[in-house]
Amino acid sequence: MTSPTKIPQIQAQKLFIILFIISLILSHIGIVGIEDSSIMPNYFIALIVSFILAKRARLDLFKLVIIGLIVDIFTGQLIGQYGLIFIIVYILNFSVNKILVIKYQKQIESLSIFLILFSFIILWLTSQSYNIFITPKILLLQSIFTFIAYLFFKVIINKFIAR
Amino acid sequence: MAQKPNRGDLKLFNRDTFPISTFLILFFICLVLMGSDFRYQILKKIRLEIPLIIAPINNLINLPVNLFRESKDIFVTKELLKEKITLMEKTIYYLSIRVQENQLLKSENNILRNTLKIQKNFNISGDTAEIILPEVRNGHSIITINKGSKNNIQAGSAVINNKGLVGQIVNTSDSYSEIRPITSKSYAVPAIMDNAKQNVILYGNGNGELVIPLFPASNSIKINDIFVTSGVDTLYPKGIRIGKVTEIMPTKSPKFNHILVKPFSQPTTFSYITVLETKND
Repeated sequence: MTSPTKIPQIQAQKLFIILFIISLILSHIGIVGIEDSSIMPNYFIALIVSFILAKRARLDLFKLVIIGLIVDIFTGQLIGQYGLIFIIVYILNFSVNKILVIKYQKQIESLSIFLILFSFIILWLTSQSYNIFITPKILLLQSIFTFIAYLFFKVIINKFIAR
Repeated sequence: MAQKPNRGDLKLFNRDTFPISTFLILFFICLVLMGSDFRYQILKKIRLEIPLIIAPINNLINLPVNLFRESKDIFVTKELLKEKITLMEKTIYYLSIRVQENQLLKSENNILRNTLKIQKNFNISGDTAEIILPEVRNGHSIITINKGSKNNIQAGSAVINNKGLVGQIVNTSDSYSEIRPITSKSYAVPAIMDNAKQNVILYGNGNGELVIPLFPASNSIKINDIFVTSGVDTLYPKGIRIGKVTEIMPTKSPKFNHILVKPFSQPTTFSYITVLETKND
C-alpha cells in the first residue's frame, strides 16, 4: 500500500509529466502577436524552475540531466545543453537556500527571476548562433515571458498538489 | 484533534550535504555530450534515425487545422466547385500564354549563350511542398513542410517560393522536413547586388531580417538595392531574389556600415514552397 506521505509526491510526478507534455506542445506553437521567435517564452526553463522552487517532484541532479536530454532530443540545439542548464539551476537554488532563508513569496519570486535570467545566460553561452552578443532587450523580454509561464505553472502546481 | 505540522515547512536551514561531486561529474558529462554533438552531429542523426520522436508532435499540433480542412471540404457546394473550376481554367489559359513567351525567351537565351560561348547551365528542378506547423521550436524559427525523405527531399537543399529565397533544409524524416529560414540567426548566404557589383555574405538576425554586419563604407549602396544569390557556394543557384536594403547604419568604425536587408519572402504557415534539386555542371 502507498504510504500517505508518498501520495503528494506521486501526484507531483504525474503533474510534472503532464506539464512537460504541455510544454512540449506549447514550445512548437507560436503566440499570436509575437512574430519574433527569439522572445518566445522558454516553457521548459519555466517548468523546471517552478518545480525546483516548489520542491514537490523531488527532482535531483540525475533526474534533471535525463529530463534535459529528453528536451534536447525534442527541441534542443545540442545534446546536453538543457541538462547543463537544469543542473546549474538546481545547484544555484541549493546554494541560495544554504546561504539564505527563503520563506516569503517575494523572496521565491525574486529567486525565480534570478534563476530564469541565469538559465538564459547559459543558453546564450552554449548556443550555436554566430551572433556573439545578445541584446539586453531580447533577454529581458524573453525572461519576462518565461516568468509569466513560470507563474502559470506555479498556480497549477499549487492548485493540484496538496501541501 | 491537533494536527501534526508538516516538518518540511518548518525546516529553517538547509542541512542537506552539497552534492558537489555529483554535480561536477554530471557537468563534465554534459560538456562532453555537447562537444561530441557539435563534432559528430549526434542529435541530427538521432532525429533522422528516429522520426517517431517528432512525428506524433507534428501530427498533434496540426490536428485541429487538418480536422477543420476536412470538415470544410465536406460542406463545399457544387456551385462553389463550378466557380473554382472556371477560375482555374482561366488561370491555365493565362499561364499557357506565359509559357509560350517563356519558351521563346529560353530559346533566344540559348542562342545568345551559344554565341557568347557561356557554358554554365542552370539545371534547376524542384518539388513543391506545403508549410505546416510548427513554426517555432523552443524560441527558434523553423519552417516544417509536409514532405520528407519519402519524397526524395534531402538535407541541404535550397528552398524558394514565388517571391524568392526561403531557406535551407536542415532535417528530414520520412514525412516531414525542417527548413532553417533565411532570417534565422545561424543562417548565412552568399549574395550579390542585382547590378552584379557587390559580393557579400548576408546573415539572418533572428528578427525577420538579414544583415551585413560590416559593409565597406567606400562601396556604394542605397536603400531599395536588391540582393540576389551569387551562386559562388554552388548550393544556391545564382540569381534567386533574397531581399532589398531597408536601412544603412554607421558602425563604430567609420570604414564600415551596418546594412539591414528585408527579405522578399517570409512564407506563412499553410503556403507553398519549392525544394530545389540543383545540378551543377
